[in-house]
Amino acid sequence: MPSAKEILRKFTELKTLPHVAIKVTQLVNDDRSTMQDFEEVIKLDPVLVTRLLRLVNSPYFGLSQKVESISKAVVFAGMKQLRNLVAVEALRGMFKGDDVDFSAQKLWLHSATVAILSGMIAKRIFGKDGEDVFLAGIIHDIGLIVENQMAGEQLREACRAFREGKGSLIECERNAIGADHAEVGYLLTKEWGLPQDVLSSIKSHHQAKQVKSVSSTGSILQLAEFMAGKMQYWHIPGPIEPLPPELTAHVKEKVADYKIIIRDLPGEMAKAKELYESEG
Amino acid sequence: MTEPTFDSIFDDLVDTSEELQGFLTILESLLPEASLLLVSSTDVVLDGAKSLALSPPTREKLVREARVTEDFVTGKADSGAPCYAVHLVKLSAVLIISCAAVPEGDKDPGAAMISLLRNTLELAFYRQEREVLVADHEQSVRQINILQQQHGKLIEDNYRQYRLNQEREKEYARKLESEIAKQTAELREANVRLEEISRLKSDFLANMSHELRTPMNAIIGFSELLSETPLAEEQLDYTRTIAQSAKSLLSLINDILDLAKIEAGKLELEHLPFDLAEVIGNVAAMFKIPAREKGVVVTCRIDSNVPKRIMGDSNRLRQVLINLAGNAMKFTEQGGIDIAVAFEREAAGRAVCRFSVRDSGIGIPADRVGAIFEKFTQADGSTTRKYGGTGLGLAICLQLVELMGGRLAVESEVGKGSTFYFIIPLEEAPAEIISLQEHKTAGHGKAVRGGRILLVEDNAVNQRLASILITREGYEVEVASDGAEALEHLRHQPFDLVLMDVQMPNMDGMEATRRIREIEADPDQKQSYVGLRALTRPLGIVGLTAHARKEDETACYASGMNGFLTKPIVKAKLAMILSEMMPQISGNDATEPS
Repeated sequence: MPSAKEILRKFTELKTLPHVAIKVTQLVNDDRSTMQDFEEVIKLDPVLVTRLLRLVNSPYFGLSQKVESISKAVVFAGMKQLRNLVAVEALRGMFKGDDVDFSAQKLWLHSATVAILSGMIAKRIFGKDGEDVFLAGIIHDIGLIVENQMAGEQLREACRAFREGKGSLIECERNAIGADHAEVGYLLTKEWGLPQDVLSSIKSHHQAKQVKSVSSTGSILQLAEFMAGKMQYWHIPGPIEPLPPELTAHVKEKVADYKIIIRDLPGEMAKAKELYESEG
Repeated sequence: MTEPTFDSIFDDLVDTSEELQGFLTILESLLPEASLLLVSSTDVVLDGAKSLALSPPTREKLVREARVTEDFVTGKADSGAPCYAVHLVKLSAVLIISCAAVPEGDKDPGAAMISLLRNTLELAFYRQEREVLVADHEQSVRQINILQQQHGKLIEDNYRQYRLNQEREKEYARKLESEIAKQTAELREANVRLEEISRLKSDFLANMSHELRTPMNAIIGFSELLSETPLAEEQLDYTRTIAQSAKSLLSLINDILDLAKIEAGKLELEHLPFDLAEVIGNVAAMFKIPAREKGVVVTCRIDSNVPKRIMGDSNRLRQVLINLAGNAMKFTEQGGIDIAVAFEREAAGRAVCRFSVRDSGIGIPADRVGAIFEKFTQADGSTTRKYGGTGLGLAICLQLVELMGGRLAVESEVGKGSTFYFIIPLEEAPAEIISLQEHKTAGHGKAVRGGRILLVEDNAVNQRLASILITREGYEVEVASDGAEALEHLRHQPFDLVLMDVQMPNMDGMEATRRIREIEADPDQKQSYVGLRALTRPLGIVGLTAHARKEDETACYASGMNGFLTKPIVKAKLAMILSEMMPQISGNDATEPS
C-alpha cells in the first residue's frame, strides 16, 4: 500500500497550487515583503483582482470611497486576508465531483462552514486574529481531495466502512488506502509553506487526545468541525466523533457565547458567500 | 435544513436541570425570604435553598392545576402559609413559591402578592437573558479589539511601506542629482574647452591678420614707390603687376577675415552718425577713373526725402556698395552703372530706403541667381578666369546687409544687366551731434600741407616705407623705434602729429600714448617737453596697427589716441588722415618747422 508521501508525490506531479497562491503565501511569511510585492503578484490574475476589489468595496470594510487600485485594495484588505482570498480561489477548483460515497462538493461546503465557524470562534470567543484559523478550516480536509484523485476507489471503500461503523474515518482510510487525509493534508500544506500552527492543526484535527490549549488553532478547528458536523454540513455520512473532554468543558463554560455564534452563523455564511463565491 | 440550535448541536452537553437550577438561583437572589420549588416537565423536583414543605399530593395537585392555566394557582403549604404555583412556559416547569414576608391577615394579600411575583419572575427571566446579552457584548468588544489591532497593524505596515518608498525615492533622487551634477560638470568642461578654442581661433585670426598685413604693407608700398622711380617700360609693367597682385591678395585676405568674423558672430556694426551723400559720392568717385578708362558712365542719385545724416556703420555700408559697384564695373563693358538711394516708406520713425546698384553688363542667367551669393562662386564657372575675383564679395555683402536689417537681392536679365539692391531702415542722426569728422573736413579744401610728423615704428622696412609716403605727402618726418624713444623725441623737438605703431618692443604704442596724455595733463611735466609745451590742444596721435579688428580700434581710442590707421598703409588713406589731422597752416597757429 502506498504511504502518504507516495500519494502526495503522485498528486503534486499532477497538480500544483497555482503560482499566485504559492507566491502570496511566501510573501505573507516574509517580514520584509511590501504591498508592492503583493500587487506585483496578484495583478497577474484578473479574477483575483476582481475579487479583491469586490472584497474591499463590500460593506464589511465600510469604506467611504470606492477602491479602484490594486495597491490600495491590498492595503485595506491586509496581507492575511489577501492570502485567504487567494487560497479560497486556488482550492475551490479542486473540490469538484459528487457521488454517493464521496462528494467533493459537499466537502467544499463543509470546509467553508468550518472555516467560517473557526474564524468566528477565534475572533468572538478568544479575541484572536481569525485569518489563520480560517485558512486552517478551508484547507483542513485537502487530504481527502488528494486521496480522491490518487486513490478514489479505496477512499470510497473507506467511506463505506466508516458509514457502516467499522471504526473512525482515519482508521478506515488507513485500512483501505494506507494513509489518512490528516497526514496527507499535513504533508501537502507543509510543501505549500503554510504557517506552523495551521499545519499542526490539520495534522491533529481528528486526534481527540492531542489538544494543546483550548484557544489553539487545532482546538478551534476541532470545535468548528464538530459543530459543522452536527449542523449536517458533513461530507461523509457516518458517526460524528465526540468532542475531546477539554473542549466539552469549554463549551459548557461558554454556553451563552456559543449560542450567539450559532445564532449569527447563517448571516456570516451569507456574507462569506458574497465575498468569496459570487462570480467575478 | 432546519436552523440548528445550541441544544441540537450540543445535545450531549445540555442538562435541563442545570438550566432550571440556574433560574432558581437567580430567583432566590431576588427573593431571599421566599421558599421555592421547581417541578420540571418530567416531574423532577428541584428544591430552593429554603425548602418548602409540601406534601406530594398537594404539590402534584398544584402542578397539575398550574400547567393548564397562565394564572397563578393558590394553595397552602404544610405550614399553613399560602403558596402560589405558576407554569413557566419558557422553562417548561412549574414554580411553587411561598413567601413568608407577606403578612397574614391582609384583606386581599393574594392579588398584591401575585403582582409582585409576576414582576419578580420577569426580572429573573430578564437576568437570565442578560447573560446572553453580556456575552454578545463581550464578543462584540473582542471583535472590535481585533479590528483595532488589525487597523494598527495596517497603519504600521503602511508606515513601513511609506518608509521603504521614501528610501527608494531618496535613493533615486540621489542618483538623479549626481547624474545631473556629473552631466553639468561635463557640459561646463566642454563649454570651457569650446570657449578656449574659440578664443584661440580669435587670437589666431588677429595674429594672421597682423602677420599677413605687415609684409603686404611692404610689398604694396614699395611697389608703388618703385613704380614712381625712373624705370624701363618692361620694368614698369612688372612693377604694376606686382602692385596689382598684391592689392588683390590684400583684398582677398580682408574678405576672408571679414567672412570669418561674420561667421564667428564677432562682427559688430558701428552706430555713429555719418553723411550718406558723402559715402555714396566717395564710392562713385572711386570708380570714376576705371569707368572712364572703360568708357562706362558712373552716376549716382539720392532721393531728396532720404535723410542726409544717418546713424550706422559708414565703413560697412561703403564696403557693400564698393563691392556691388566693383562687380558691376567688372561685368560691364558698355553703358553705365547707376548707384541710387530711393525713399520707400516710413516705418517706426525710420526712413526705409532702397539702395541699388544697376549695371548694363552681361547679366546673370536665372538658374544661377541663387548660386552667386554662395562663397567662391560666380554666375558662370568660366567667368572666374575671365573677370577675376574670388567670389567672396557677395557672400560678405549678403551677411553685412543682413546685419543692417535688410536682404540683398538681385534682378537680372542676361545681356541687359543686373540690379543688386537691398532695403534697409535708416535712422536719422540727431541734429545736435556734430561729427568731429565733419568739423574737420569743413576746412579740408583750404588745407595747406607742411608740418612735422613723428613716426614711431619698430620695423625697419615699415619705417622706410612710411617715411617715404609721409615725405611724399609733403611733410617732414622723424623716426622713433619704440615708445620710450618717441618720448625722448618729444622732450626735445616739436611735432604736429604722431603716427604710433601699436605693437612695439620696450614701450608699446598704447603705453606711450597714455604717458603722453599724462604729461599733457601735468603743467610741470609739460614744460619740460618741447614737443608738448607749445600745444594748446592735445597732440594728435594716430594708431598704426595690422590688427584690423573693431576691438583693436576701440583699444587705441581708449588709450588716448585720436586717429586710427590700419596697416598696410594705403597711400590714399594716409593722405586723407594726414590732411584731416595736421593743423592747418593759416597764420600764427602753425608750428614752426625746424
